[in-house]
Amino acid sequence: MKGLTFTLRAEPEERLDLLALTPDRLDGMSVAEIARLRIGTSRKPASVGDLFKIAGKDASRIVFDGGSAHFDGIGAGMSSGMVYVAGDAGAQAGRKMRGGAIVIEGRCGTHAGSCMAGGRLEIRGNSGDCLGGPLAGEMLGMAGGVLVVRGRAGDYAGDRMRRGVIAILKGCGDYAGSRMIAGSVAVRGKVGAMPGYLMKRGSLLFDRRPEALSPTFIDCGRTDIAFSGLFDRYLIEDGILDKPLLGRRPGKYGGDTAVLGKGEILFRMGG
Amino acid sequence: MSVAWVGSQAVFLSDAIQHAAKLLASSRCPVISFDADVHGTRSVIALAEKLGAAYDHIRGRELLNEVALFTSHGGMFTTPGEVRRRADLIILVGDLPASHHELILSWASAQPDLAGKQSRRWFHLEGGEAVSGGKDAEGELSRQVKAVILSAEAASLGTAVALLRAELAGRRTATPITNLDSLKKALAEADFPVFVFSGNTEEPTSLAMLQGLVADLNRSKRASSLFLPSDDAAWGAVLTSVWMTGFPPRTGFPNGAPVYDPERWDIQRMLRDKEADLHLWISPGDEIPAKQGRIPLVALAHTASPVAGAAVTISIAAPGIDHDCVAYSSRTGTFRATRASAPSDRPAIAGIVRQLAQALPSGEAESC
Repeated sequence: MKGLTFTLRAEPEERLDLLALTPDRLDGMSVAEIARLRIGTSRKPASVGDLFKIAGKDASRIVFDGGSAHFDGIGAGMSSGMVYVAGDAGAQAGRKMRGGAIVIEGRCGTHAGSCMAGGRLEIRGNSGDCLGGPLAGEMLGMAGGVLVVRGRAGDYAGDRMRRGVIAILKGCGDYAGSRMIAGSVAVRGKVGAMPGYLMKRGSLLFDRRPEALSPTFIDCGRTDIAFSGLFDRYLIEDGILDKPLLGRRPGKYGGDTAVLGKGEILFRMGG
Repeated sequence: MSVAWVGSQAVFLSDAIQHAAKLLASSRCPVISFDADVHGTRSVIALAEKLGAAYDHIRGRELLNEVALFTSHGGMFTTPGEVRRRADLIILVGDLPASHHELILSWASAQPDLAGKQSRRWFHLEGGEAVSGGKDAEGELSRQVKAVILSAEAASLGTAVALLRAELAGRRTATPITNLDSLKKALAEADFPVFVFSGNTEEPTSLAMLQGLVADLNRSKRASSLFLPSDDAAWGAVLTSVWMTGFPPRTGFPNGAPVYDPERWDIQRMLRDKEADLHLWISPGDEIPAKQGRIPLVALAHTASPVAGAAVTISIAAPGIDHDCVAYSSRTGTFRATRASAPSDRPAIAGIVRQLAQALPSGEAESC
């Protein structure tokens, strides 16, 4: 059975709230019922049928043929199935997802993977600020799953993260891993200022020494631990990277000593 | 004197209101930027709710980090009165807006009458990079209160706060901080230390770090912090918005209920990205709104002439100058009544906005 396909007729003028268009929520609905769902957020809100041509029936495999920076909440809260976006997405893609997989071919707005607890979110372009991070008023960030950004991520990637893996392949902005409680954030490429600010535990894994680090991170020299090899192997076997990120005997900083100080920054060292 | 214009043509106030109401009613996504006293803010939010519009303070970008301290981190806060009467140790944190220097100096000239020791010690934690207000004014404040300077080489304020927190917890750091032993001794002797800070737009996470430091101290003794907003009037609008909707500005009513989202309802971004199709600007300040592209502008401004590019301009009174008002005061930590300094007949923001809301066609004005 062909996957449920939403073909974008024209760039939407308003921001769209696509929370309702997930495999879980569309399961068992007819095309006519789906077309009537309201997704616009302006005073004259559009429905699904106004903006998309709908084809296919299998709601466990959803395809957005065409994307937009106005597509908010793609795959939010989903627990199974697959969502594919052939283009850009807006804010909060994959927010609170618990399972299944989302692939976004283009760029993504802020809070992608916000508070996700399971599943896999892959963004092939750049992502905005607060990757995996909580919204205002929420105490906990990403709690599980795998989040891959093949482009660059903005500031505060992995904010308040407590479990799971984030991999960013073309560098990230400032405050990566801020307020982390646990989990792993791997970054290939240039890392902005103050990574790990306020982190209690968890691992930040870089392919180079961070340039602007808080002095509340202590240089621990080179480490000879099994974890770096294990994690490098995982990244390669999962298809996230094609070469090791950390290599053997990476350098290590411990911190943030302003808080608990049990976090670590591991980074590749030459020689 | 004219108080209303459609384009550049002077018209009766009622005609301008009708014209503006028609534009609002026909718009798909109206947005409101405002700067008003309590009554004005309440009327703006009521209008936004009726329209299904989004609203933000005109200083929304600066408010964002101050608001985030409360929405994302939380903290321990005290009032200016408690600081004046009980704080026997005051630690100024970073650059404080010049508008608050007089308040701080008033504490220096009086002793804490409810503190055990009836004397007060001062420290100033400095960041390495100057932000608004300037280092000179800040240095002068430190000298006048005879504050002991706490600083670290080439450390930004966020770094300095982190260093101080780590050092006070007895954990290792890579850089020393000056006069730390003096502060440790003063903290050990103090009954009620208070950290005085303002919103730091350069490094918002430093505010979270500072609150963590205060929480650490509270494990063994009483300590608190005093938040001095960068703009009292703007902070008053934040508090008014919170009591009306439960949320600060950058709130919208997409489905009739308020939704707070500081990225989604960033009015300047919405105008830049052409998500909004009508901009209602309400401010009695000197700043003149700029029309963004082809998006129609309705301007309620303290002006004697039409705003360039605005579809409708209505002249409004400045609260506290043209009429009495209620505004937030950091000196008391709450709202206070302010007498008009130069009373005039210009219409108040609240009155104009209420007339606008009443002029909306009832069917179209309902939010979706």
